[in-house]
Amino acid sequence: MRTFIVKRLAMLVPILLGVATLTFILMYVVPGDPVRALAGERYDEETLARMRTELGLDRPLAVQYVAFLGRLARFDLGRSFVTRRPVAEAIRERFPRTLVLALSAMVLAIVGGIAIGTIAAWGRRPVVSRILMTFSLVGVSMPVFWLGLLLIYLFAIKLRVLPPSGYGGGSIRNLILPAVTLSFASMATIARVTRSGVLDALGEDYVRTARAKGLGERIVLGKHVLRNALIPVITIAGADFGSYLSGSVLTESIFGWPGLGRFVVQAILRRDFPVIQGAVLFMALLFILVNLAVDLSYGAIDPRIRPEGGKR
Amino acid sequence: MTGMSGSLRAGVMTFLLPIALAVVGCSRAGDDATVRLALQTEPTTLDPAYSVDFSSGRIASLVHSNLVAFDPDARVVPDLALSWEILDGGRRYVFHLGRARFSQGRSVTASDVVYSVRRLLDPETVSPRWWLLKPLRGAAAYHGGASWDGEAVQAVDDSTVVMRLEYPVAHFLGLLAMPAAGIVCREEVERLGKGYGRAPCGSGPWMLSSWREGDEVLLVPNPGYSGPRTALAGLSFRVIPEQMTQIAEFEVGSLDVLEVPRAELEHWRAAGSPLLWKEELRVVYIGFNTVKPPFSDPRVRRALNMAVDVEKIIAHVLFGAGTRSRGVVPPSLRFSPEPAERYPYDPAGAKALLAEAGYPNGFSMEIWQRENPEAGRVLESVQGYLADVGVTAKLVTREWGAFKEAIDRGTPDAFFLDWLADYPDAENFLAPLFSSSNIGGGGNRTGYRNVRVDSLLDAAAACMDAAKRWELYRTAEAIVYGDAPWLFLWFPEKYEVVSPRLTGYRIPLIFNGQRFLDVGV
Repeated sequence: MRTFIVKRLAMLVPILLGVATLTFILMYVVPGDPVRALAGERYDEETLARMRTELGLDRPLAVQYVAFLGRLARFDLGRSFVTRRPVAEAIRERFPRTLVLALSAMVLAIVGGIAIGTIAAWGRRPVVSRILMTFSLVGVSMPVFWLGLLLIYLFAIKLRVLPPSGYGGGSIRNLILPAVTLSFASMATIARVTRSGVLDALGEDYVRTARAKGLGERIVLGKHVLRNALIPVITIAGADFGSYLSGSVLTESIFGWPGLGRFVVQAILRRDFPVIQGAVLFMALLFILVNLAVDLSYGAIDPRIRPEGGKR
Repeated sequence: MTGMSGSLRAGVMTFLLPIALAVVGCSRAGDDATVRLALQTEPTTLDPAYSVDFSSGRIASLVHSNLVAFDPDARVVPDLALSWEILDGGRRYVFHLGRARFSQGRSVTASDVVYSVRRLLDPETVSPRWWLLKPLRGAAAYHGGASWDGEAVQAVDDSTVVMRLEYPVAHFLGLLAMPAAGIVCREEVERLGKGYGRAPCGSGPWMLSSWREGDEVLLVPNPGYSGPRTALAGLSFRVIPEQMTQIAEFEVGSLDVLEVPRAELEHWRAAGSPLLWKEELRVVYIGFNTVKPPFSDPRVRRALNMAVDVEKIIAHVLFGAGTRSRGVVPPSLRFSPEPAERYPYDPAGAKALLAEAGYPNGFSMEIWQRENPEAGRVLESVQGYLADVGVTAKLVTREWGAFKEAIDRGTPDAFFLDWLADYPDAENFLAPLFSSSNIGGGGNRTGYRNVRVDSLLDAAAACMDAAKRWELYRTAEAIVYGDAPWLFLWFPEKYEVVSPRLTGYRIPLIFNGQRFLDVGV
């Protein structure tokens, strides 16, 4: 197990280097000039040239690339072209907000999704099952944008119980609507996967055996059925969580949530290279770590699965 | 079945808990004396030298004083300078400063004005807005690397500043009221360097209290401000990118001012909300690439002007929130009516003109636009009208950075764009947009070149007699209108709703013309 973790962590360096290089190349290939975006609507070419020199954009690409890698080696993400703020500082300010939103959405999605999926599969009443599955179909197919506006309309404008948008200095009231919106699609997918997992498991011999031994339904469900149905749920949740951590542009935009997603999109639109590079690298790192955690959790849930390279 | 009821409970709780929590912590007050406003995009910096976008310029102007400022009607009014004299036929300005303090406490003196002017012009500063002080004597040379000779601006004593101009510029005071001409506190600039943009120190009516990135910029009254005291406790600018969300915030009473999207106008009119209205100092147009055939032929450009029923687009796509433009200078900056109508909607006439120009069967063209839903709707209508006269228009969408690069280089056949005034003057429309010295990034992205227009514009800029000056601009505009480098569209109008608790608020004519000193709650 330890070898596995060490191996995976050692892979981090080449992967991040690859991501860094790819981002660097992409930025220079895509049309759009950062200094033009910075200069407003009225400028002269001479000023643009000066700005380019100041930002180091006039140097040959290879030199810029080496300088960029040199900075990375010193854990320096540089300063934003636009705000002149250190990129690391901005990420430090934004990431906790994204993390809070991602965690709450994930908890909602997992708890809600497993509950709905289990009830739908386990329940003896087909009507309940059908209602729940219709709900989850709606959840999977509903555009985030529309759902967000709907929730704002209902809870903020009609019922007036929650604020429509904003971070509110970290107030839980401001967190609820974006978290529910963000969780919805995942919750629905998890519900569907849980349902089919539970249905599959119910037909297995070990469930029959467990029941035949006279175990209570609660134990059969918890220990035998759900545990086996959970593996795909974790895969989905892990992937979704990874993408939540890189910020969810739509949810953040609708709710004016000042997280990483909008930050990166703004940076892309403004061709703010240091921010794009820094944020993409940071997100790649998160993604890798979340995937590692997901792989490790498989073994914890199902002892038959052991990460490769580990001892049986 | 007990297991099921357990998970059912969990499921129900998942949905009810947020609501329960919410109700418990409900009703946060919005009843203090802070005016709550929304920004669609976050300011990038509050450093005057780098404030080029709307949000940054607007807030930088609240935090900094200039020598002069704009009032909501875009008239130049005293700011740091309580009075001034214009001497030597507009070549020398003498400003008499009043008492004022920077937000860190120090008094503002004439040497701060000298420092701020020199800083903006300094090539090391690399300000994209240095050009606004270009008329000062020796400014261009200093910016180009010559040493500072002090001719441009001098502090005669602590409260008197003299500025000398290379040539008279009639709109010079307007330039001085732009955000980039804000007076900054030297020691803070030197202490913070590039960080000044996030911790600005000006002598404006407001000072920065907090800036939560991506979330809110909060201003509080600057205790050192010398002008009239505000009764407000603060100005909160919340970053809310989505218009629908802004509307929701206004509906629940957490915003005091809402810019009503045009598509929502009918709803608000029907709801009986008192709408504030103002013509914007903005012109919307489709620019033709006048150096590229077939658009290098004025007949083709005129024909396309006749092919599109602009009035109908204004009525149906803009919901009436605009005035058809027969020229370039918005109505509120005019001293006489627009040129006579030359391009009535006339598809048959347009076809005849195209045939005369050698295109009896029309041609294909690309119209570039930046990403923007309204632009899409407008251009789809235009596309339909052009098809009627045999012109196949393909719409090309690019995001802002790539779009700007393309139009600066003259790549597209035509492009949909607008121009927003920096200062309220006909010059700010005609010179950047049509002077051949401004082709490209200077503002003239159609590549339009007309020697007569150039000389009229040069003469007008230096003419200190308002009536004569307007006459020169009017003539230049009529020539431009005849040459049709644009498909002339409209001057947009802005609508806002204001919360009933707010008093004295007016939509400013120029974007940095509302300093919230007469506004109360």
